[in-house]
Amino acid sequence: MSARNRELLALIPASLLVTVGFAAVFIQEDDLISDTSLTYGGVFLGLCFVAHLIIRFTLPDADPYLFPLVALLACFGLVMIFRIDEDLARDQAQWFVIGLIVFAATILLLRKDYRVLERYRYTIALVGIVLLLLPRVPGIGAQVNGAYLGIELGPISFQPAELSKICIIIFLASYLRDTRQVLVQGARRFAGITLPPLRHLMPLLVVWGAAMVLLVFIRDLGSSLMFFGAFLAIIYIATDRLSFVLIGLGMFGLGAWFFANTVSHVANRIDAWQHPFDDQLYDAVGGSYQIAQSLFAQADGGVAGAGFGQALIETPTGAPILPAAQTDLIYALITNELGLFGAAGVLVVYLLVTERGMRIAMLAQDSFSTLLAAGLAAVFALQVFVIVGGVTKLIPLTGVTLPFISYGGSSIVANFLLVALLLLISDRARREAQGR
Amino acid sequence: MVEPASVALKFAFLAILYLFLLWVTRSALKDLRRGTQPGVSAIAATPPPDATGLHAAARGVGVGGDAPRLVVESVPGLQRGAAYDLVGDCTLGRGDVEIHLEDPFASGRHAQLTRQGSVIVLEDLGSTNGTYLNEEPVQGPQPLHPGDRVRIGDSVFIFEDS
Repeated sequence: MSARNRELLALIPASLLVTVGFAAVFIQEDDLISDTSLTYGGVFLGLCFVAHLIIRFTLPDADPYLFPLVALLACFGLVMIFRIDEDLARDQAQWFVIGLIVFAATILLLRKDYRVLERYRYTIALVGIVLLLLPRVPGIGAQVNGAYLGIELGPISFQPAELSKICIIIFLASYLRDTRQVLVQGARRFAGITLPPLRHLMPLLVVWGAAMVLLVFIRDLGSSLMFFGAFLAIIYIATDRLSFVLIGLGMFGLGAWFFANTVSHVANRIDAWQHPFDDQLYDAVGGSYQIAQSLFAQADGGVAGAGFGQALIETPTGAPILPAAQTDLIYALITNELGLFGAAGVLVVYLLVTERGMRIAMLAQDSFSTLLAAGLAAVFALQVFVIVGGVTKLIPLTGVTLPFISYGGSSIVANFLLVALLLLISDRARREAQGR
Repeated sequence: MVEPASVALKFAFLAILYLFLLWVTRSALKDLRRGTQPGVSAIAATPPPDATGLHAAARGVGVGGDAPRLVVESVPGLQRGAAYDLVGDCTLGRGDVEIHLEDPFASGRHAQLTRQGSVIVLEDLGSTNGTYLNEEPVQGPQPLHPGDRVRIGDSVFIFEDS
């Protein structure tokens, strides 16, 4: 079976999931069986089919599983958000369509050779940093829960960190392609550890340092963890030096310790993480209420879950029980309604997406493609880790989105862009691998 | 109240999800075992280090080619498609060397190709403008693989090996 036919076949289960999911929510909420769910499934299949046709005609050799896996995640998101609120689901469906348009546009624009991106590496880095700065600009910036995450332009609100992560990864990949050998060969041993040469490390540190400082400036902790991890992953792949990673982790430890002791916003998060069931913290503003409720919700799910529509999101009077259920805590909601099985399934989907990304990186013939694919896969995996880790109380809870599932336009659009880049790399790599 | 139909649908949902994941994982595993990479098959085809000359000779006959070649992609003053057979060690450069380049950006003795066992190794000889392997500056000795692009100034060669 050819790669593209596999992809088409794999889209069918994704669409079936939409149908079954919506049907279950309908039955639970309205006590009636309607054929609307079939319509939703059909529309979803139709949209995916259009995207599939674009891939078929422009990237015939691209990885066959990546797009269906992503469609599956999007379908999960639509069903869960529909279960929370119909209007939100309508918005989300619109963003899904916009995401697909961006996806198609990226593929069509860069189908000849995505490596032109390398030529604009400093411009791209600058765009990434300016995007991070935007939420602090008076007038368009918006503060939510102590963090400056989004910008608001009229009716559209947007989280620039989502797009910025892709810009920074593109810069790192193209810069390290040129300098990775110098970084390794110019390295000097000092006091038992190998230090990279400073002259070649500088531009790297400047761009990345600016990103980190800005993230602290806008107080987006989740994203800074994501950026940092991706930076270390990409530098490890480029230089094959474990010592660089160890130095980086040491620096991260120092930085984290410093901010935990100086910035109250960070200190609060850590307190809430360590003692979520403490009475005072639970009632405090910005306290542990969210994470405690998230843990209750997950425990309520059990092995097989309570079923669609069974989780308590708000009391009959309208007071929220599971706060931010459509964004930060959507993973807790999935665990509540589909249980351990459902949640583990979602995590396996993310694992497979990352596996496909790393596989693409291994297949790619030139180091820019390898580094880009590996970096994108790493940042994707880390984003899932940061939010799922936060919701399950493994690490302090910070607000990043669960890619493709959480409600939010910028997240969907940016992640579709990421997948489009991975497919572009994969198409070239697999074609070259087959010697055509 | 929990509708029985809703419960059934939930399990149907989980079943579809897991069947799909099983299918993708199985294909991914097959993919890994087969190793679609050309690099993998090339490594398998290279003789072991203790192989005798006979081994190499036998390999050459079947494929048709023999010595690895440096094929001209675009070199000032040379026809595209022309090729140098890399029999012994050779030097590239603007001076009086085995592979002479009419390229203003090339140094006198620019880069060197040496045979080490079954591989050809490319090394820059401290040239002014550098040697590029697949558009990456060469640092130290680099083994060449079939299809590699060697660039010196404006001159581009493709390395071929049967």
